[in-house]
Amino acid sequence: MSSHHHARSGLAAWVNGFEETAIAVLLGLMTVITFVNVILRYAFNSGLIWGLEAVTFLFAWLVLFGISYAVKVTAHLGVDALTSIMAPGARRLVATVAVAVCIGYAALLLKGAWDYWANFANLPQTTGRWFPTGFEEMRRTSYRGWYEVVDIPFPEWLRWIEPLMNEGEHYEKLPRFIPYAILPFGIALLLFRFLQAGWAIATGQSDSLIVSHEAEEAVEDVRHLNAED
Amino acid sequence: MEVAILFLLVVALMLLGVPIAVSLGFSSVLFLLVLSETSLASIAQTLFQAMAGHATLLAIPFFILASSFMSTGGVAQRIIRFSIACVGHFRGGLAIAGVFACMMFAALSGSSPATVVAIGSIVIAAMRQAGYTRDFAAGVIANAGTLGILIPPSIVMVVYAAATDVSVGRMFLAGVIPGLMAGFMLMIAIFVLAKLRNMPKGEFQGWREVYESFSDAIWGLLLIVIIMVGIYGIPPLGIKALFTPTEAAAVAAVYAFIVATFVYRDMGPLAERDGKPKSNLLKKPQALVTAFFHRDTRHTLFEAGKLTITLMFIIANALILKHVLTDEQIPQQIASAMLSAGFGKIVFLIVVNVILLIGGQFMEPSGLIVIVAPLVFPIAIELGVDPIHLGIIMVVNMEIGMITPPVGLNLFVTSGVAGMPMMRVVKAALPFLGVLFVFLILITYVPFLSTWLPTSLMGPEIITK
Repeated sequence: MSSHHHARSGLAAWVNGFEETAIAVLLGLMTVITFVNVILRYAFNSGLIWGLEAVTFLFAWLVLFGISYAVKVTAHLGVDALTSIMAPGARRLVATVAVAVCIGYAALLLKGAWDYWANFANLPQTTGRWFPTGFEEMRRTSYRGWYEVVDIPFPEWLRWIEPLMNEGEHYEKLPRFIPYAILPFGIALLLFRFLQAGWAIATGQSDSLIVSHEAEEAVEDVRHLNAED
Repeated sequence: MEVAILFLLVVALMLLGVPIAVSLGFSSVLFLLVLSETSLASIAQTLFQAMAGHATLLAIPFFILASSFMSTGGVAQRIIRFSIACVGHFRGGLAIAGVFACMMFAALSGSSPATVVAIGSIVIAAMRQAGYTRDFAAGVIANAGTLGILIPPSIVMVVYAAATDVSVGRMFLAGVIPGLMAGFMLMIAIFVLAKLRNMPKGEFQGWREVYESFSDAIWGLLLIVIIMVGIYGIPPLGIKALFTPTEAAAVAAVYAFIVATFVYRDMGPLAERDGKPKSNLLKKPQALVTAFFHRDTRHTLFEAGKLTITLMFIIANALILKHVLTDEQIPQQIASAMLSAGFGKIVFLIVVNVILLIGGQFMEPSGLIVIVAPLVFPIAIELGVDPIHLGIIMVVNMEIGMITPPVGLNLFVTSGVAGMPMMRVVKAALPFLGVLFVFLILITYVPFLSTWLPTSLMGPEIITK
């Protein structure tokens, strides 16, 4: 698999560029904030109090945003010891089962992710244990838009959301629904990409969801150096 | 026995080609929904907290980033040149240099497949040119490449530390002596074989070449110094630790970026490109700014990010499985079963060896650690095994799992890099696998090798049950 997904249309190319840039920028920000904090501590005897918390949230954003991209470019690690020795027909059948499991996983998690996030955004959780059977009736305790994170201060330019989310009350710190939003968003994207992968397997464009190790591309790049002569 | 079903389900799904992360996550979710009161919302929370709640695991993306900046072809080549200058003139010297280069690169990268690819691709080609057989070359590299996870800094050790709440710094220190030992044992084995089979030897190129290749490689090797001095300080001089391991990793990543872009100029705005030679900062001062946005920088950040994502997805799902295990009190049950059956420390360690050797063949090492560590850790403490020692045993086991037939990960990578069928790599790796087995037994039953350095530098480990 090539790291650069060969996009067909203009939109797909734009989305791909956006995904790759977002991954690079999130990791870059994490590194810079951590590094700056070290410099501030030694050079100026100060530091960004919110630094560590911000970096951990960026970390969560990086991973939860990126897992759907990794499905798209078939980068998730797996075991191909068995599937690689199967006949093409059997391999396709097995891949169909595998992708069904993935879709089930993402669907269950999506319900969980929504339920976890919803109340922080003053929205109703779903009812039901396995599958959403409807929305809960909003009680007084279901409105948790006022919940804030520990350290990150509230940015001034977001003040306009206070009347919408916090009944006009002043936010001191960033409300939780903002960093936590990546959870339902990332898992929804994951479900979407697994459905796409399922379609690719059903239509015979692909027969696997995994790579067997992280260096698979790099091995392809150097294979010519020692090709059997 | 529900747990047996759980593990069978995980393995079955993995063999069907379900991504490891999803196999772990899906099985655990099913279990939690059927057997416990846990809601899907709290499972999603576990997934989120895997990143947002673990300051220790935060070191992983930074170590990966540092190694990505360092893995540009140039650094591997410089390290290999320096190794050849040092030990190339012995009988079997190029093979010994290959092991030495793997050891140094392992300290920069922390990943075994990455070490095999970076060092193996160059060294195997060079060895064949010098008259070694392809099999011998592949066997050496497959084994030496496994040092990637044992020589600090190591991502697998960070994961072990996070899973069991021991100190990352201690784990890194504990890996130093075993890492050097494994490397030297491999070198001695090669030297003996080379004498017996009368393998080629190189010319000593003089101290000048040693010095020159060293001063060329030093910028890369300094990364290790920054990390180690950053985490531990220099105790004899009374310099205290400067950073936490996570900060050290971030500083290392920034340092690696500066070296790759401005010193080695293998990437970024100053690199050789389109036939133009390497530029420098005097001619192109704007590079100080443009380097941050250069497409090479973006690409390296992206590649490191992608690897972080796939590893962390596995670790996060393994944490859900850990949630199942602790919820059901599985470790305690197994511990009491083993203790009441009269199993002692030795039998326990053998069981751990076997589990990890088998698991290490299939699974990404960091995911395996997250699952196995919480199972065996409480038992080990109960039996009086030192937690740091246990960590090193686990790492060495997985190292060997990677080259144990039939499905060791490093065997696959080497087979790709060396352009050889899998079965030939398996045969080629066997003699050295024997060496590593002896090493494993030493590490398992001589705890002193792992615990001496951390204990003498950082004081005795305090175990909180």
